[in-house]
Amino acid sequence: MEIDEAPQKVDIAARIVTPGTAITNDPAFMRGHGTFSEHDTIYSSVAGVVERINKLVSVRPLKQRYSGEIGDIIVGRITEVASKRWRVDVNSRQDGVLLLSSINLPGGIQRRKSESDELQMRTFFAEGDLVFAEVQSYFADGALSLHTRSIQYGKLRNGTLVTAFPQLVPRSRSHFHTLSCGVDVVLGVNGYIWVSKHVPASKVEANAELIYSDKNEPISDDEREAIARVANCIQLLNRLYVKITDMSIIFAYEASLVHSVKELLTHDVAVELAQNVMARLEQQA
Amino acid sequence: MTSLILSPAEQDYIIRGVESGFRADGRGSLDRREVSLRTGMISQANGSARCRIGNLGVGTDVLVGVKAEVNSWTPGEPEDLGSIVCNVECSPSAAQEFEGRGAEEINVELTQLLDRILNGPQSGLDLKKLCIIPKQAYWVLHIDALVLDVKGSIVDTLVWATRAALMSTSLPRVVVETIGDEMGNMQAEFDVVDDPEDLTPLEGAENLPISVTFSQIGKRYVVDASEQEEAVTQAKLTVAVSPVMEICAIQKGGMFRGFPPSLLAEILETAQRIAREELTRFDVHYAQAKSHLSSQADEPSTGSTFLVQF
Repeated sequence: MEIDEAPQKVDIAARIVTPGTAITNDPAFMRGHGTFSEHDTIYSSVAGVVERINKLVSVRPLKQRYSGEIGDIIVGRITEVASKRWRVDVNSRQDGVLLLSSINLPGGIQRRKSESDELQMRTFFAEGDLVFAEVQSYFADGALSLHTRSIQYGKLRNGTLVTAFPQLVPRSRSHFHTLSCGVDVVLGVNGYIWVSKHVPASKVEANAELIYSDKNEPISDDEREAIARVANCIQLLNRLYVKITDMSIIFAYEASLVHSVKELLTHDVAVELAQNVMARLEQQA
Repeated sequence: MTSLILSPAEQDYIIRGVESGFRADGRGSLDRREVSLRTGMISQANGSARCRIGNLGVGTDVLVGVKAEVNSWTPGEPEDLGSIVCNVECSPSAAQEFEGRGAEEINVELTQLLDRILNGPQSGLDLKKLCIIPKQAYWVLHIDALVLDVKGSIVDTLVWATRAALMSTSLPRVVVETIGDEMGNMQAEFDVVDDPEDLTPLEGAENLPISVTFSQIGKRYVVDASEQEEAVTQAKLTVAVSPVMEICAIQKGGMFRGFPPSLLAEILETAQRIAREELTRFDVHYAQAKSHLSSQADEPSTGSTFLVQF
């Protein structure tokens, strides 16, 4: 297939389209996700960017609900306590499920689940709690089944939640980062990002009994400011549609130091910082 | 006012932060988020404005339209005054609990609050000027507000939008003639000029008040609470202050706690200070935006649409 011959083929790639835009009427193309065909023309069904891979034409939407994959690291909020399970809001079409058998019970990983555990489920997670978990499998209806069977997972404390678009948080090797300013960041692939005071891992392991505690560590003013700064950086990366990774957060943080924390969310400063970050990311690539 | 549920750890983080003077987004306790205002976008209305309080394009968003109608006087009504009718509606898409009939209570509460601020001499509008012919006809201003999105501070956004909408309101010119009939009685008749270019701006709109809402979190209070901060707010005080620094309305909300009276005087004074600063900044931006618009005289104007960000 000669790309030079038919101009519409060159036009296809990297176009921004809205629902109903005609992409091509060349019968050689197959239609992929985000498209539909009427008569002989392929139209876009979502607002997004056209992607062409060989003969496959698809449209990647700009905004999409999070759909979980097995192995995803996510942050969720408990919405309901049910019989031997919790329902968790994971920013997706359906609430996820955290089974009682999928969590670490205080007193060591090997402790057997007892009947009293079933009756005291709210001592582990109650409505409103934030949980750092991994997707284990799917239920028959497509709901995600989560687990927190590792010491780094569990209830989140000492910080604040930032909500971002799920597609801006790429899947990567590690989703838990410690920044040099003493702030821990948990990048949930579902768009929920937890920014908190750094607590050394040794301290976490030493207090196996307190993994379900609701009490925060004491947080100093400097730590609060650092957390607020990082949270604002993530927020502005999100609103200006920049991918949120540990590198982009660090770049944004460094560039933000000349401004006060509250200025970061004003329009002009945010745009300047986002452009700065994108330039540095491009340089690095 | 949204029922965002936070974990005890998050709540504690916010409360202790506010008590140490650190809000989660780095603002000081008396700092407001960015306010952006646009007026004149509803061409069929006599006046309109849209106000958003929030950061980076996301925030509490209220749209207000003002429509003027001529009403016939009926006995029992004031003889020489026009009137203002308010209606506030929260769109179901603004928050989950507004679905179906969930917004009924808050609609009534906000309508009554807006009514209290606007109706009466303290609002600065001269209702006498809205009378066309005493005991015969008067203007009724229908103020309709639609809350499009809620991210904290719904009252302040609503009042800002209403004020801006009324400042952009202009009424058709009315010609009043006194005609004598055969028996020598003088009858007044009026005619509304049907020319879309022949309009008179609503008088007194710049005297309208703005509101400042204080939320008590822990032992301190903050201005312009965000969604998360509202979830841990125990008591709220909304103070409406006019440009001449008079208190026009006060409303206390929040069912969890009361305010100690000693705090009240301090809050009223702070409200006046904040209102003075905000109104001054608004006036500067408004004047700039208006002069910029009139300098584009060659463009066909669909009314004055401009953005004031301060």
